[in-house]
Amino acid sequence: MANKKNGQLRDIWRRLKRNRLAMVGLVILILIVLVAIFADVIAPYPYDLQNYSDVKQWPSSKYIFGTDNFGRDIFSRVIYGTRVSLQIGFISLSVGALVGSIFGAIAGYFGGWVDTVIMRFTDILMSIPKIVLAIAIASTLGPGLVNAMIAVAISSIPNFARVVRASTLTVKDQEYIEAAIAIGAGNSRVIFRHIFPNILAPIIVQATLGVGVSIILAASLSFLGLGVEPPTPEWGAMLSAARTYIRDEWYMVLFPGLAIMITVLALNLLGDGLRDALDPKLKN
Amino acid sequence: MNDKDKPLLSVRNLTIHYITDNGVVKAVNDISFDLAKGETMGLVGETGAGKTTTALGIMNLIPNPPGKIINGEILVDGKNILEFNKYQTRKYRGNVASMIFQDPMTALNPILTVGEQIAEVSRYHNKLSKAESYVKAAEMLELVGIPSERINEYPHQFSGGMKQRVVIAIALACNPQLLLADEPTTALDVTIQAQVLALMGDLIKKYGTSMVLITHDLGVVTEICDRVAIMYAGQIVETGDLEAVYEHTKHPYTKGLFGSLPRISDKTSRLNPIDGLMPDPTNLPNGCPFHPRCPDKMPECESRVPANTEIEPGHFVRCLLYE
Repeated sequence: MANKKNGQLRDIWRRLKRNRLAMVGLVILILIVLVAIFADVIAPYPYDLQNYSDVKQWPSSKYIFGTDNFGRDIFSRVIYGTRVSLQIGFISLSVGALVGSIFGAIAGYFGGWVDTVIMRFTDILMSIPKIVLAIAIASTLGPGLVNAMIAVAISSIPNFARVVRASTLTVKDQEYIEAAIAIGAGNSRVIFRHIFPNILAPIIVQATLGVGVSIILAASLSFLGLGVEPPTPEWGAMLSAARTYIRDEWYMVLFPGLAIMITVLALNLLGDGLRDALDPKLKN
Repeated sequence: MNDKDKPLLSVRNLTIHYITDNGVVKAVNDISFDLAKGETMGLVGETGAGKTTTALGIMNLIPNPPGKIINGEILVDGKNILEFNKYQTRKYRGNVASMIFQDPMTALNPILTVGEQIAEVSRYHNKLSKAESYVKAAEMLELVGIPSERINEYPHQFSGGMKQRVVIAIALACNPQLLLADEPTTALDVTIQAQVLALMGDLIKKYGTSMVLITHDLGVVTEICDRVAIMYAGQIVETGDLEAVYEHTKHPYTKGLFGSLPRISDKTSRLNPIDGLMPDPTNLPNGCPFHPRCPDKMPECESRVPANTEIEPGHFVRCLLYE
């Protein structure tokens, strides 16, 4: 059985491999993940080591991205920051995706007043700009890594609920769903065993594209002082701390900014590629 | 009446309507019939006569809303399935009664292997372990004439006839007492039709399953059914064993149906259709629903709905001519 499952995955992989940009995205993403895992090995200095004799050093062979106003090595901080940003991005998005998908599936499958209540609540959440919503949640809960993740997770729920509801609606009227009910399957079995696997493709795409958004959102929260607190090396927080020096020591904002940009770009390229690879209409 | 003669399925005065914005669709109107253990009944009628709705009703699968069972009872083994709670309904579906769907192309889940889809039923009802259920699924596949090596393949790797065999295997996986086959051969080409019908005939004989075969093909009925019920506009207009209905045809609609069949022995250039069209189910005529098209219409037909009349043992006709 595993063999055949691989067969299907291999098809998707083959289609994905033909997409050069998606492969570039994938390679960059793998590198970023490796960097996050081996941050201890790669970073030349601890992220919180303050060296007051080397404050605001321009990039050099000793400090390849330069040092900040406390004499901390920016390269090491960007490297460690990968961990924090990926953590926030993936964990908060997974939670958001899980909760959103469950609500979306319930709304789509049962319809009626359940659908109305869930979707109107989703509409309300969607009518508030994501960043404002996240700020509101983060400022209520207070700053901190976990609270930032909660804020990002909640603000990603409505997107998933919408996507999953729409897909559920198209799948639930298929005859094989009726057939599943006719063999005596209960509601939860029908939803999780028969509907969910059929709508996995849009969920995966939404998730890949959503991680990028979550990383930016988390960075924005930190930039505004509502996210991760210093000295934790979060990219958004680094930007925020460095913005006073943008006029003379612009390298301080350049490197964390580049890190955010490259990570999100890689995720978006991969997400676009996955969307094409998973789209059955493009099958050949 | 001893236990053996008690019918397995007994439908009494079943009336099912779909309540839509454009009016009430009277899909099934006051039908009653019995089906003995091991018996096969053909349910024949035009598109829109209420055949599928009847079958869905027997599975208690009428989508609600808009569908609603207005009246009547469906007794299976003496128990009214319409009064079952959610849990009993789930135990009933697939285990006691199961359904073969019309289009095998859409009745199988595209992302699960056929083995998994067959195994799922016995896992669900007989509480088999995963390994046991796969052994059972392999047996079922062999039974319907598919090599069991193909157990891990996906539906798109099968041809239409093979898929319908898989659907049959799923339906029979728990040895149901009652099988509802909703035009099981309509989507297949003629040679495969014959194979699938022969297979179904063998299997239900082997397991003593009762079957309601829905079709609009009178030829198919003669091949595998013991009895036949002719539906028109949501009513069973004539029912009886094959010989009674085919040889002593009474209802003008049934006569019309047989009259419209082409015969290989007659040299005619035109078929003889029944004049007119099926009435709109949201707006059925008063009296007998067939009267606007009936060649033997009497004035009374416009005002009075005919009752079910037994004209010879087991042969019922719903027509004022025979009341």
